[in-house]
Amino acid sequence: MTARDAILSRLGGTMTPSAIADEAAALLVAPERPPVAMTALEETFAERLALPSVAASYDRIADWSEVPEAVRRYCAANGLPVVLCLPPDPRLTALDWDGVTLHDGAAPDEDAALAIARCGVAETGSLVFETSPEAPMLPNFLALHHLVIVPTLVAHLEDAILPGAQPRAHYWVTGVSGTTDIEGTYVRGAHGPRFLHVIRLATPLKR
Amino acid sequence: MSGGFAERVDAALADPILKLAVERTAGTAEAKRTLAIDAFADFEAARDRAAAIKDHVIANLGGYLERFEANAVAAGAVVHWARTSQEACDIVIGLCKAAGAKSVARSKSMLGEEIGLPHALAEAGITRVETDLAEHIIQLSGERPSHIIWPAMHKTREQVSVLFKANHRDPHTEETIAAMAESARRHLREGMLAADVGICGANFLIADTGAVCTVTNEGNAELSLVPPRMQIVTAGIEKIVPSMGHAVHMLRMLARSATGAPLTQYTTFYTGPKRPGDRDGPEEMHIVLVDNGRTAMREDGLAEMLRCIRCGACMNHCVVFRQIGGHAYGGTYPGPMGAVLTPAIDGLAANRDLPNACTLNGKCQEVCPVRIPLPTLLRGWREKSWREGLEPKATRAGIGLWAWAARRPRLYRTATATALTALRLLGRTGWLSNVPLAGGWTRHRDLPKPAAESFMAQYKKGQRQ
Repeated sequence: MTARDAILSRLGGTMTPSAIADEAAALLVAPERPPVAMTALEETFAERLALPSVAASYDRIADWSEVPEAVRRYCAANGLPVVLCLPPDPRLTALDWDGVTLHDGAAPDEDAALAIARCGVAETGSLVFETSPEAPMLPNFLALHHLVIVPTLVAHLEDAILPGAQPRAHYWVTGVSGTTDIEGTYVRGAHGPRFLHVIRLATPLKR
Repeated sequence: MSGGFAERVDAALADPILKLAVERTAGTAEAKRTLAIDAFADFEAARDRAAAIKDHVIANLGGYLERFEANAVAAGAVVHWARTSQEACDIVIGLCKAAGAKSVARSKSMLGEEIGLPHALAEAGITRVETDLAEHIIQLSGERPSHIIWPAMHKTREQVSVLFKANHRDPHTEETIAAMAESARRHLREGMLAADVGICGANFLIADTGAVCTVTNEGNAELSLVPPRMQIVTAGIEKIVPSMGHAVHMLRMLARSATGAPLTQYTTFYTGPKRPGDRDGPEEMHIVLVDNGRTAMREDGLAEMLRCIRCGACMNHCVVFRQIGGHAYGGTYPGPMGAVLTPAIDGLAANRDLPNACTLNGKCQEVCPVRIPLPTLLRGWREKSWREGLEPKATRAGIGLWAWAARRPRLYRTATATALTALRLLGRTGWLSNVPLAGGWTRHRDLPKPAAESFMAQYKKGQRQ
């Protein structure tokens, strides 16, 4: 008997598949969760970003064309060289990056990386990402400064779930790389980003 | 980790630094959890739902595992099954060798510790880069984790500083925790980027997508799993949830109970290896589903323990754990959940002391996000230990004598009255400092002088008035 058969032979249930599906669905009805007012998505999201466990800085722009200027503004405010790891997303590569040195693969000691989140989550201040040929994952974990464009907001984590076939990785970023492993004291920038900067794009996304 | 439980406890209690270190981290965790729960209005109902989700999965585990397997395979992952820790390690080492791996980056998982993966990798001559900061600390000190969330909670900053200075290429020069973390960041990054294989556990396995979920605050899982050519996941079979929606509920419970945050900083769902055109991600993804006693727990009255999501709240709130720390428990899992799990995984005979190292104050059950009746399960082990004759002869004889007397009320009351008189004779002041047969107590503290009459005697007098 294979290990698989040996394990499964001891785990038989008595319910039919449809009864199991019904019970599983019933367990998701009206879940307990922090309330988020749909009329206050922007405010709630901004408040969550300010929580000590997230501690993201926040900028607001009206249009994609303002992204390079928002990046230059952030770099200047933080005394950073205007050098950026940029994913090969046409929404970004089409922009005018005059005065910004770009490269598309993150160096091990990368200063700053820009990425586009699919959405932001007001409940937690999370930023939702999926991998694709235009959206590599590693730069978002290597860079010291993680800059993220947020085109849309949803209320709860459930609203951020991607239906259907999943990408290689679907991930939620809710702050920076932090650790409390030495005496429970919180330190930012354990392995990955020490700074998270959210650029809220307040116009609807056009592709 | 030598000697028996009593020796380990003696060593822990005699260590002046240990209690300070444990108290600093567990105390902070307790305070942060309290704030998070107070801010979550329906937490009690949310606990009911979390327990119900886990019970639903455990009752239908076979079907859910098959569905998870089918979906993971459809996404391009390879699924392996292991009955025992040995089988699990053999699979992982076999995969590493087939890939020609010289080094692996490992993102901390308790299942990996449970099956002895660090040891198996060392035996196979494969370099292991522990990427969780706490696991890195205990790898340097050659120890085992003392807590499931903060494996190095028994270490003070001063001890960590010494370890880093002795082992890091470019260590910190300033004696702050931030500078020490920065030293580890410099040191570990190279190892993560150069690893041939990335190994992690799973916080959740999503049945309807075949995804594996990891949560970390450090982002070390992602840095360990994205660059290497191969990803290996070792996961206990009880980690299944039906869908992403169920995972969301469990994640809300996990983060608040563990660290007091609304959500862990990095929550990632991996579904299969990299796709055509992807710039990063592994070429191969392997998932090892590990039983190691879990099917037996399900059959033997410990199904409720399979609800456990490894948040660590039970140990942070345990009066015994806070005195002796995690190492004294001797197994992979410390604290109340460890005292239930270790006898199930490693056998009751060698671990019968663990269920006894409990005051039954019920605090663990009060804070458990999935309402595991830990005190009840611990009492179950005590009963089993008695039934199987594992208790020492003196204990059995003593309890047997007491039971014999307790069934004879008149004799029992006479004996109690005699004992009271004798005890009062021993104590000239209000305290007894030396009592025959009670040396275990009086060696360390005095016993209060008893009242002149037993409770029953006083009660009877009261009734007659």
